[in-house]
Amino acid sequence: MTTHTVAQAATQTARQPVITASKLTKTYQGSVRALDELTVAVPAGVTALVGANGAGKSTLIKILLGLLPATSGAATVLGFACGSQGSSIRTHTGYMPEHDCLPPDVTATEFVTHLGRMSGLPATAAKERAADSLRHVGLYEERYRQIGTYSTGMKQRVKLAQALVGDPQLLLLDEPTNGLDPAGRSAMLDLIARIGTEFGISMLVASHLLGEVEQICDHLVALDGGRLLRADTISSFTRASEFLLIEVDEGSDLLAAELTNRGLRPVDYQRGLLVQMDGESSFDVVRDALADLGLPLNRLEHRRHRLEELFSDSGSEAVAYEAKGVADVR
Amino acid sequence: MSADNVGVIHNIGYRSYEGARLGRAQIVRALTSHSLRSAFGFGRGAKAKIVPVLTFVAICLPAIVSAVAVALNSGHTRPISYDVYLPQLRIFVLIVFMAAQAPDLVSRDLRSHCLPLYFARPIERIDYPLAKLIAFFAAMLVMIEVPLLLLYVGTATQLHTGSQIWHETKALIPGLLLGVAWAAVLCGLGLLFASFSGRRAYATGAVAIFFFLTLTLATLLTNIGDGPKGGQVLSKLAGLISPFTVLDGVRQWLGGTTQGMVPNPGGDGVLYGLMFVVFLVVGVGGLILRYRKVGVA
Repeated sequence: MTTHTVAQAATQTARQPVITASKLTKTYQGSVRALDELTVAVPAGVTALVGANGAGKSTLIKILLGLLPATSGAATVLGFACGSQGSSIRTHTGYMPEHDCLPPDVTATEFVTHLGRMSGLPATAAKERAADSLRHVGLYEERYRQIGTYSTGMKQRVKLAQALVGDPQLLLLDEPTNGLDPAGRSAMLDLIARIGTEFGISMLVASHLLGEVEQICDHLVALDGGRLLRADTISSFTRASEFLLIEVDEGSDLLAAELTNRGLRPVDYQRGLLVQMDGESSFDVVRDALADLGLPLNRLEHRRHRLEELFSDSGSEAVAYEAKGVADVR
Repeated sequence: MSADNVGVIHNIGYRSYEGARLGRAQIVRALTSHSLRSAFGFGRGAKAKIVPVLTFVAICLPAIVSAVAVALNSGHTRPISYDVYLPQLRIFVLIVFMAAQAPDLVSRDLRSHCLPLYFARPIERIDYPLAKLIAFFAAMLVMIEVPLLLLYVGTATQLHTGSQIWHETKALIPGLLLGVAWAAVLCGLGLLFASFSGRRAYATGAVAIFFFLTLTLATLLTNIGDGPKGGQVLSKLAGLISPFTVLDGVRQWLGGTTQGMVPNPGGDGVLYGLMFVVFLVVGVGGLILRYRKVGVA
């Protein structure tokens, strides 16, 4: 699947972006800036939209769909202008909201069929596509049961099915793994990856868990405080956010000096040292340094980041790094 | 535009949709018929049909009784006029129907937070309340006009000459037109109050309290005003409080057959006409405003 994704990403880089935003700003009640002059282009394929809670992910999605008006700036989706061509955008875009949005007292089939009609499908087509969509997300006989009897995982699948029912070219998924247990999360991520690669539908997947979405996305857009932090391919992004945490029982200073000699830039962090990874070779450098000094290694941890950790004010490696002026994760 | 170059299909398991897509008007029509069905509990379980069926039977019952009475009495005269069938006999039933079924159209979607799913589809904000209004207007027409038609059929079948039937038809038409006015005012107000809360019980309460309270108040003040001196003005204007008495005032102003719930407003009839427009605008406009502001978070 990985090669598949990479191949697809490679062929799609030359293509038109599916989403563009230009100086997009959204201000709530005149003071809170949810989006602050956001300018970004999202290519076709599967793109993660990451950021801490309140970074503006949901706001961006809602503006793209025309659910919220932008305060200023412009955006396009699939070549249509947000605002003036909102209905064309919504015809070809599926939306999976973050929150619970399902009525408990109807069956999944009825509900998805009805929303298929609302997407502009004729009655018979809506029925067929509702059955198809529910099958694609893995709901078979259960779909004739009332939604109120479903588990959280099944409800998330219904939410995904209703986004798929109108045969969209683009899916906007807002925290699709919310509320799921680890098994449910990975099942949902597999499903999303399959929709992206096998169905060929472009996706923007909003999440606050970088570690989660990096497995299934080709591209990544990171927001922080309504501003663009970074937009890039997933591989270049994760490399910059990988750290190695090293704890030794004694001789931390010696190790720091040795690592600096060997070209790494260690920083004191909690009870150990933190170095930013520079590819796989960093493991060897650390191992050799420890072996040469003969220090008792207590802990060696390869850290990938939850984005909220990466952006939060304290306790994060990235912040520690930035504070020392050693590295710029941006 | 990337419409044709994004959809690379790698798996024939997923079928894309190549057929025609409905326009905005057709989607609104689909939502309207879906809502109309739910107003009578169709497409839901048996429990959802109890209240609509009972109220429908109850609202038609006097018409059926009347048909029997017409058949039995020698003169074949109708015991009640078309234009006072509702105000004199069936207001309570109508309130029960509205209080029970208006929340089904609007409150459920608020409760389950599925409005963003509608607004993320190719309809505009205003289409949702519009479809609900049309649907509930149609449901109210069924509740209001069917008994009148039953009353008409029950009477007309006992008549023998063409002129008698023509006379009967001429009596029916103002009743039907008045029924349209009733449906228009009540559907807007009913949905507006039902859309105040996502909790069904609260929505039902809001509708019932509004209609019962205003009606009781209007009736009470009218009766007080009927007193010996100085109460004439109060008596004439108290009816402006409730949509039902306003509708009845308008009926009399436009030349209704008999005395009704409020004394004939006479020259003040224009006030009743004005209030009718106010109720209509508040109901319809209020609901549209309500959905312009409703959160999508």
